[in-house]
Amino acid sequence: MALCRQWLEALPRPEGVLEKIQRQGRKSLFYSGLPSSKIESWRLTDLKRLENLLKLSLSQETQNISQSNFFNLDKAANQGCRLILDPQLNLNESINLPSGFQKLNTTEIQQYLGRALNHFSSPNDWALAVNQASTNQILAFRVQGQDLPPLELIIPSQKDTLTPTRVIIILEEKVKLKLLQVALGAENSAQSHVLEIHLNKEAELDHGFVALGGGQASCLAHLAVAQEISSKYSLTAVQHGWMFSRLEPRIIQLNGQGSTNLKGLQISTGKQQLATHSLVRFEGPDGCLNQLQKAIANKSSHSIFNGLIEVPKIAQNTNASQLSRNLLLSRHARIDTKPELEIVADDVRCSHGATVSKLQEDELFYLRSRGIASSQATSLLLQGYCQEIIKDLPIEAQKWDILNTLIENINE
Amino acid sequence: MASQNQVGNIISQPYKYGFITDIETEKISKGINEDIIKLISNKKKEPEFLLNFRLKAYKQWLKLEEPDWANLGYSPIDYQELIYYAAPKDNHKKASLDEVDPKLLETFNKLGIPLNEQKRLSNVAVDAVFDSVSIATTYKEKLAEHGVIFCSMSEAVNEFPDLIKLYLGSVVPSSDNYFAALNSAVFSDGSFVFVPKGVNCPMELSSYFRINSGDTGQFERTLIVAEEGSSVSYLEGCTAPMFDTNTLHAAVVELIALDDSSIKYSTVQNWYAGNEKGVGGIYNFVTKRGQCKGKRSKISWSQVETGSAITWKYPSCILLGERSVGEFYSVALTNNYQKADTGTKMIHVGANTSSTIVSKGISAGHSSNSYRGLVQMGPNASGARNYSQCDSMLIGDKAAANTYPYIRSQQPVSNIEHEASTCRISEDQLFYLQSRGIGFEEAVSMMVSGFCRDVFNQLPMEFAAEADKLLALKLEGSVG
Amino acid sequence: MILDISNLHVNVEDQPILKGVNLKINAGEIHAIMGRNGSGKSTLSKVIAGHPAYLVTSGSIKFNNQDLLSIEPEQRARSGVFLGFQYPIEIPGVSNLEFLRVATNSRRQERGEEELDTFEFEDLVNERLKIVQMNPTFLERSVNEGFSGGEKKRNEILQMALLEPTLAILDETDSGLDIDALRIVASGVKKLAKPNTATLLITHYQRLLNEITPDFVHVMSGGRILRTGGGELATKLEESGYDWLDNEQNIKEEEN
Repeated sequence: MALCRQWLEALPRPEGVLEKIQRQGRKSLFYSGLPSSKIESWRLTDLKRLENLLKLSLSQETQNISQSNFFNLDKAANQGCRLILDPQLNLNESINLPSGFQKLNTTEIQQYLGRALNHFSSPNDWALAVNQASTNQILAFRVQGQDLPPLELIIPSQKDTLTPTRVIIILEEKVKLKLLQVALGAENSAQSHVLEIHLNKEAELDHGFVALGGGQASCLAHLAVAQEISSKYSLTAVQHGWMFSRLEPRIIQLNGQGSTNLKGLQISTGKQQLATHSLVRFEGPDGCLNQLQKAIANKSSHSIFNGLIEVPKIAQNTNASQLSRNLLLSRHARIDTKPELEIVADDVRCSHGATVSKLQEDELFYLRSRGIASSQATSLLLQGYCQEIIKDLPIEAQKWDILNTLIENINE
Repeated sequence: MASQNQVGNIISQPYKYGFITDIETEKISKGINEDIIKLISNKKKEPEFLLNFRLKAYKQWLKLEEPDWANLGYSPIDYQELIYYAAPKDNHKKASLDEVDPKLLETFNKLGIPLNEQKRLSNVAVDAVFDSVSIATTYKEKLAEHGVIFCSMSEAVNEFPDLIKLYLGSVVPSSDNYFAALNSAVFSDGSFVFVPKGVNCPMELSSYFRINSGDTGQFERTLIVAEEGSSVSYLEGCTAPMFDTNTLHAAVVELIALDDSSIKYSTVQNWYAGNEKGVGGIYNFVTKRGQCKGKRSKISWSQVETGSAITWKYPSCILLGERSVGEFYSVALTNNYQKADTGTKMIHVGANTSSTIVSKGISAGHSSNSYRGLVQMGPNASGARNYSQCDSMLIGDKAAANTYPYIRSQQPVSNIEHEASTCRISEDQLFYLQSRGIGFEEAVSMMVSGFCRDVFNQLPMEFAAEADKLLALKLEGSVG
Repeated sequence: MILDISNLHVNVEDQPILKGVNLKINAGEIHAIMGRNGSGKSTLSKVIAGHPAYLVTSGSIKFNNQDLLSIEPEQRARSGVFLGFQYPIEIPGVSNLEFLRVATNSRRQERGEEELDTFEFEDLVNERLKIVQMNPTFLERSVNEGFSGGEKKRNEILQMALLEPTLAILDETDSGLDIDALRIVASGVKKLAKPNTATLLITHYQRLLNEITPDFVHVMSGGRILRTGGGELATKLEESGYDWLDNEQNIKEEEN
């Protein structure tokens, strides 16, 4: 509690277009303090790591990101449209968007701020409150038209700094967009990212979220997606390399007939703790969900998945399936997985499943019996395991060479 | 049109066990404190170690908080308004059944559990518990010939204090949870089973629990110990009269299985569930846990849960011994405003342990039926395996089915598989059966019992029919 | 007369599907209804069996001179109406043997016959299995669960053999069968036809009718029976397709 209040006191005065949410977030943190392990959704979290997060300075007073040694962006050169969320800049003014993308004005920002989030008001959204309290930059835009270029959104981080970022994206009717987000971290940096997405009727978003950390870095990311009728949302999320990372996708299908595909991969090693807490709620009939969550845990790492699906009475004829598949590679690693299904509608087809195991002996043996060395066979199988998720990232992701990064680092 | 409503109607059945036996009862004054606990202990002429066990538990209970994490939303229980001991007057154990009050025998007859020599269920020994005390235990002598002890807990504490000292509270410590602590402080009676080395218990053992008084909590305690290489199958049944207040039932069951032994524990729970508006009914907050202490030991829980306003129950297995086996087979049927939150915990500690979970939930009316489970693979559980399957069937569009299967693994050389599905009785399936001349009711009943088959197959033969009958009873009635 | 359908109109979800069907079937007769997909053939079969999704808006169906529409599907089955489903339903968990026994006994009870106990029933079922040349292991499985298309259809005919219906309606029983299975099914149907029973085949291919010769062939289109003839009508349809029906249907609609 004390640490939290201390942190709040050090924040600058609430101001600007984000003033209202800053006040909200601060109030919420003032009263709640740090999450307690008695709260189910934080029970497994190493709460010490949250404290570390609050000990970092805030991004506004720090150096230019170009001085940070994070990722060699040139290596991943881009032909589409690349946006970098540089906390030094006033994002909504300085960033140039290609045609078809239109920034929201102040009134619109106020109108949309928190709108997708409000479908999921939950007092335990600590990750959200931290962002609300501290964020002072926002990028908000709507997307219209056809044949849009794929968009790449890079969220860099800074040494010894907590970088809060906030984005709103509105896809108008029938708009199709590919979006690749890359959140980077290294050394003792931290990300706090909140993204709100509105998909209007028949809109389609193919969303890749790649969070590549390193060192002691932490990442808290909260995604709220509101899907209108017949819209399609596909999220492929990869978390890797963070000392502490927590991704919270919240998806609501507002008037039914939506399609949601969630794929997640978290690869942990060392003492890392990676978590995904997803929620999908159906607020109309004929919706469908396909969710596949994978994890590989090595060394003394800890991988957590909590996947809630809510099917209220109004959501007749929902078809939802969730599968959690986990590989445990070390005796000291730990995997916690908790699918949660809450169903009131009676005419639904919902299934979920979970497996935890090590690599299959017979598969390894088969490869080895063809002359492949054990280590290579293992690596091949792990690649295959990851590929099932990675292949669904937007094509832009190829340049980031994610698969190799993952496999190289898995034994670190 | 043969609608889901009709399906709903036919599972809304009047409760057949709702009668009250008019018998003179001795009750102690209500409320709980150290004096009450001393009084209960004194009434039962207990040895000192047990009184100390109770008092310690009471102190722990005072420190514990009543849990609310299962989101059951029940109206709070005033623990000072409950009576913790009620017994038919003149309750000392009779030498022969002829001396037992005929009203009591009649009660158990009506419940389908005849205790008289002539009418007894053959090959089933019964311990009949009425409110806080055990009325009669049948076939005791025959069991004793095989060295099997089957008696009420009250007898056991005096006759076999060493066994009780050794095992009571060894699986469910009194500090385990709020209701276990309460039970440990005030438990009144229950059954004790001890199967010595190498003995396969020659008959099914069974306890029948009957709550008769409206203001009395029932806190029975069951302890089953299977020594090396022995085996036993045990069944409990439960009913209660209809009161419009809620009665608390907080039992503790402990099972201990040593090397190569096996315990099969089956429950047919049909406590009064409250009326169709959700008034009254039993709060069924039970702690059941088995410890597979020995190598290759096996504990199997089977349960058919149809009664109670609220059920809160997670029969669990701690798999300590190498290659030990835990099983959980459950059918839970909820209707009206019933709430069932049930499941299991399989804690794999030893190497090559294995567990199987099969849970079938059927929810109708405004009820809610949750499966909540934990499968945990500890660091030393190498080669451990678990398979879980939980299926839900929804009847009508106001019932809720929730599943919370929790999986935790710290052991790479282990395997966990979990599958779950939700379905309803489809109109096409009903029509197909009807078009072959099978009546609507029977068709629904066939489908529900088909849905539950995997679990019914696990019940002891003598009781499989009983469970089917109980479900059919809940299912039979007027077709709208 | 076994079946007498008169001016039958049926809606599904407020859409008229049958628009005045007339059909009379006498004892000892085999009828075939042909027509394209969507002509109303399957609807007619389901309405006779009493499927709850269909709403009869006018007209009547009499079975052995009794009103059929007012009775529940199971009662229809008990009194001798049998529908062989085009897509037999899978019912997980319910044993096929148990299902067959309960169905058979409910029919027997209706006929004033003794119910069969488990052993007597197994004898009966083993005898009837021969008609459809079915492997007894299918009895141990759940109703139709995991059966191939051909196995499901044989299971349908097995049910027919056990229930001994007065009126057997076989809805597209030939679809999804290879030629051997078709022969087995057809010979089963022929064996089960008696002078005091009637059979109604619903199909849109000639194939089945090469194996079982119908006494009457009806052609359905747009929810009505457009044409009735003998076996030769089926041959004509096989040769010239269904297109010529369109003209006739247009004429009929204009008349109305």
